[in-house]
Amino acid sequence: MQTGSNSTRSFMTATPLSLKNISKSFAGVDAVKDVSFDVQPGEIIGFLGPNGAGKTTTIRMALGLIKPNSGEVTLFGQRPGPHAFGRIAFLPEERGLYKKQTARETIAHMARLNGMKAKEAFPLADRLLDKYGLSEAKRKKNKDMSKGMAQKVQLLAAIAHDPEFYILDEPFSGLDPVNQQILEKMVREIADRGRTIIFSTHVMEHAERLCDRIILMSGGRKVFDGSTELALTQAPKRLVIDSEDARLKDVLTPFAATLEDRPDGALTVFLKPEAESHTILEKCVNMGVKLSRYEPKNPSLHEAFVALVGRDEVAKMKEDAT
Amino acid sequence: MIPKVDLRRTYLIARRDFLGYIKTWGFWLSFLMPFLFGGFGILLSQMSLNVEPVRYETILDETNLYAQAILDSERQKTNERMERAEKLEERIPMLANQGQSLAKSKVNFVEPPAPDLDGLMPYLKGEKLLSIGEKGSRLNGAVHIYDDNGELKLDYWSSNITNSDAINVVEKYFSTKASDDYLASGNLTADGLKAAKKNAPSVDAFDPTKSTVEGEGDQSVSDLDIIPFVVAIMASGILWLTIFSGAYMLLTSMLEEKLNKLLEMMLSTTRLSEIMLGKLIGVAALTIAAMSPYILLSFAGAAFIAVQGGPETTEVIRDAFSLKLLVFFPVFLVLGYVFYGALFIAMGSLAESMQDAQTLTTPIMLLLTGCIMVVPIAIKSPDSPILTFAAWFPLSAPFAAIARLPLDPPWWELSLSAFFLFLMSVGVIWLAGRIFNYGVLSGSGVKGIMEALKRVVFRRGTAG
Repeated sequence: MQTGSNSTRSFMTATPLSLKNISKSFAGVDAVKDVSFDVQPGEIIGFLGPNGAGKTTTIRMALGLIKPNSGEVTLFGQRPGPHAFGRIAFLPEERGLYKKQTARETIAHMARLNGMKAKEAFPLADRLLDKYGLSEAKRKKNKDMSKGMAQKVQLLAAIAHDPEFYILDEPFSGLDPVNQQILEKMVREIADRGRTIIFSTHVMEHAERLCDRIILMSGGRKVFDGSTELALTQAPKRLVIDSEDARLKDVLTPFAATLEDRPDGALTVFLKPEAESHTILEKCVNMGVKLSRYEPKNPSLHEAFVALVGRDEVAKMKEDAT
Repeated sequence: MIPKVDLRRTYLIARRDFLGYIKTWGFWLSFLMPFLFGGFGILLSQMSLNVEPVRYETILDETNLYAQAILDSERQKTNERMERAEKLEERIPMLANQGQSLAKSKVNFVEPPAPDLDGLMPYLKGEKLLSIGEKGSRLNGAVHIYDDNGELKLDYWSSNITNSDAINVVEKYFSTKASDDYLASGNLTADGLKAAKKNAPSVDAFDPTKSTVEGEGDQSVSDLDIIPFVVAIMASGILWLTIFSGAYMLLTSMLEEKLNKLLEMMLSTTRLSEIMLGKLIGVAALTIAAMSPYILLSFAGAAFIAVQGGPETTEVIRDAFSLKLLVFFPVFLVLGYVFYGALFIAMGSLAESMQDAQTLTTPIMLLLTGCIMVVPIAIKSPDSPILTFAAWFPLSAPFAAIARLPLDPPWWELSLSAFFLFLMSVGVIWLAGRIFNYGVLSGSGVKGIMEALKRVVFRRGTAG
């Protein structure tokens, strides 16, 4: 990522990525089924789904690393190929570095592969390492670095040339909370410069905080594609309520899709789509049911995904994230 | 103190290691190798490709005293060997005909085709052929026995200066004769016997193809004449070592990138062909850098010997580093490296672990080892049909063609051999490129090769 004063550029050219009905199977098992979406310039997209959902396969097809069995992929308006070299930053899911290279050599090498000159690449590597708290690692061999440091170096190597389009496969995985925050900040800075970003993640909070748009994959299929706000509308409204009055459940039943007992004795009410929590409050007041607790809850992305893909898939996603 | 060992856990670890390797392709290939080599040997014997060609020698005996005695002595020894072989074959039926064929004399003496040495020269230079076989046969050498002012002289004339079978037969005869004569004299001492053997006449070698122009030395063969053969064999060895170490480095480098997924990152910015070519060039430069001390020291050593050894040595060394060697050593080095390097890259791209890599590269390692095994033949029999075949066969051509250089094969022969290797290298690069493409992005292991071959060679699609 170039840190010069003229680094803010506008890349409002062709659609960075377009997938049309792509499918891919391995040994007869479908990994990706009929997936389509476009990535528009300047978007930040969260690509979500549990392991085996088809995210990495889709990303690899998007980059032209593997060919789809059917469907069409275009990168900047053309089939993936050399025309896109230097215009993309790609961080693969599995991490690794040349063990005997130093951090600055690693970053400069990738920057040079992406078209930068040596006299620019090495000072850039130094600046990036300084900026992201890796000054002491500059001349350290990759094999001597901690896992977190090595991961940051690889990320910096992938993005040093600050291209138009960033494809990051699980960039947060393996990072401790502090480094996850640093990475979030980094993603925001990249986005502020007008770059297009798509990143896959298991951690919905990152997507919720960073993304304009979310694409959810499950079982090789795209199950949701839209804004974060739209995703949240998929989740049922929720209310935590408590009363010593035994009639409470009778009041709630007509409005509740499900009722769950909480360990603290209160009830969690998942409202039917047409129900509103203030209607429940009104009814309780009218019937004289005294409430000791009344807390309407904002839906989370997690709940939205439970609604979209089912509780088991989301549990798997959480497991993957941990 | 003996450490405590839990036998069950030890067994489980041993079992996993054993079963882990026994299931690999490489293990079974190594296991079956003796049978494969046996089969290859039988195939060669069927193809009449003997390591040693049939060589015809003659004895021109101006004294008329020794030629027949030498032939009788050799025949008697051959008969004794044949009898022993026959008995051995009776005891071990599997050796039927093999023992006797090995027991046959290596030297085939024929009547001199000309009455004097001048008349023999065209035969010895290959200008005339003996009337043996359909196309005639070359006379390999002639032992010239004559009296030089009362002293018995034994000269051996042959252009094949590294083969000494005929010399051995003649010297053995005269050594045995000297000890027999001494023992018959009756005045016996241990020192006397030793002296008798030591004083037995020895054979001086001459090369009829050497120049007889005044000032360019005579035609006698000395230790210096062996230098071109030594240089060629060393060059061949260096070539093999360079190719082997380079190819192995390519394999490990490929494996490192495949395993740490750097390749995927690089592929978003670089073509597969650029990665493959870059690796070949990078490791070639590294290998040459690593081998440069050996090459420089060889040149320095040769220069030192040339300076210290006088004009004759200088001339022999200059001839050893012939134009053909200087041209074809780099040509075969590059082609051989590209050929084997591309194969190793392809195998590395299919490997998912060091164990995979070992399994996948075992056949190529065996090929490489088999190819270098032809080089020692060049020491004794540079005209061996196997070596000639190996010089044309693309897999062994780099090593065998260089090892044969002292025989001064024609330019067209070397060029054609290099051209075959070039064609084969182009094919291998194409195939390796496809396997590399498939291996890096999709497949792995031996199964990966089969899948890649189905897709690449037979154009048959597979799922995935």
